[in-house]
Amino acid sequence: MDSDLELVRRCLKGDDSAWAILLQTHTRKIYNLCYRFTGRTAESEDLTQEVFIKIFQTLKTFDVGQGTFATWLNRVARNHLVDHYRRTKKDRLTASLDDEESGVLEEKPSAQAAPSVHVETRELKELLQRGLDKLSPDLREAVVLRDLQDLDYAEVAQVLGVPEGTVKSRINRGRLELARVLKRMEQVRGPAKAAGSEA
Amino acid sequence: MTHLELENLASDYLEGQLDAVQKAAAEAHLRDCGVCRDMLGDLRRVLELCRAAEDIQPAPWLVPKILRATVGERELTLGERVSAFFRPTAQPRLAYAVAMAIFSLSVIINAAGLSLRNVTVADLNPRNWFYQANRSGHLLYARAEKFYYDLRVVYEIESRFRQLRSQPSEPQQEAPRQEPAPGGSTERDHPAGTQLASVEGLASAAAGSFAASKLASQRSNTQ
Repeated sequence: MDSDLELVRRCLKGDDSAWAILLQTHTRKIYNLCYRFTGRTAESEDLTQEVFIKIFQTLKTFDVGQGTFATWLNRVARNHLVDHYRRTKKDRLTASLDDEESGVLEEKPSAQAAPSVHVETRELKELLQRGLDKLSPDLREAVVLRDLQDLDYAEVAQVLGVPEGTVKSRINRGRLELARVLKRMEQVRGPAKAAGSEA
Repeated sequence: MTHLELENLASDYLEGQLDAVQKAAAEAHLRDCGVCRDMLGDLRRVLELCRAAEDIQPAPWLVPKILRATVGERELTLGERVSAFFRPTAQPRLAYAVAMAIFSLSVIINAAGLSLRNVTVADLNPRNWFYQANRSGHLLYARAEKFYYDLRVVYEIESRFRQLRSQPSEPQQEAPRQEPAPGGSTERDHPAGTQLASVEGLASAAAGSFAASKLASQRSNTQ
């Protein structure tokens, strides 16, 4: 976005208010990206902060020719998440199921919806997040960027640094895998719940 | 088209990105293959689920926290400083306290008999305030001093009265022994009577002087 470029220029001149605006504009997207990768609120907050600190420190290296600020931001965030994933792989293998559940339960339902809708929406969110957690990082990041962050194939390819064909293939495989995982999870939860979520 | 081929093109099929030939082949396969129809149904549901998934709101303190971690505590602008200074005053309890103070002040002013309508420019001069306060203080002191001396006179008279009333009790005890003189009591029989009358006269004179001094102080007040 042009406004992002203008804000970046102002940031580079030392305008702190421009940085504050950039932060307010993009924090939610990056936080959601982190949350879709980790499934934990506290971890996502820490990761979001780390990503923006990295962005702040490397803002001078942002090249307009390589894409928009949002794409660059997503790429930095994605690389940071992959690093984090590799760093914490061992911890995750030993993490308890309680931890996972508490991470999901921290979500707050919106105030407008009715209680029954809250429960259903919350269950679906929980289901989706747990399904995403089961995917391999390559497939997960492709699905998250395309279907949850609403980037187009070209942008996803830019963020991931792979050809568009590879992105398409990963997204297709990721969706198929997610569909299988969700189906399996619903079968485990019982036919009654599955019927409810189908409706 | 085989199962595997359709599986590889499933997303493109659902997003409408297949060309006419591929689309016709996929639909022909789907007509005969229940497994692939189920697979596409599951995939469609995943897409719907992802689209329905709302963004999660980060905690409100996250942006300020990141700001502190990057640019540190930002220097506040003049407007922000002013609003921060007055922020604690924007509370209902302060408005209530101010209203109560105004009410109390108006009650005190009314009770003191001050009329704000008669206030002149000279009344606002601090030198006049000092003069008035000094005068009021001296008057108050003089009045208190006079009241104290008057009180002393009254107590003195009262004590004299008590003293005189206790004196006639001794001759009364001796009275049954003497024969009362015919023709009523004389001054010799009750010598305290004349003294009592003189003290009463003194008391009335003192009361008169007390009233006179009170009147004089009132006059000085009105002046």
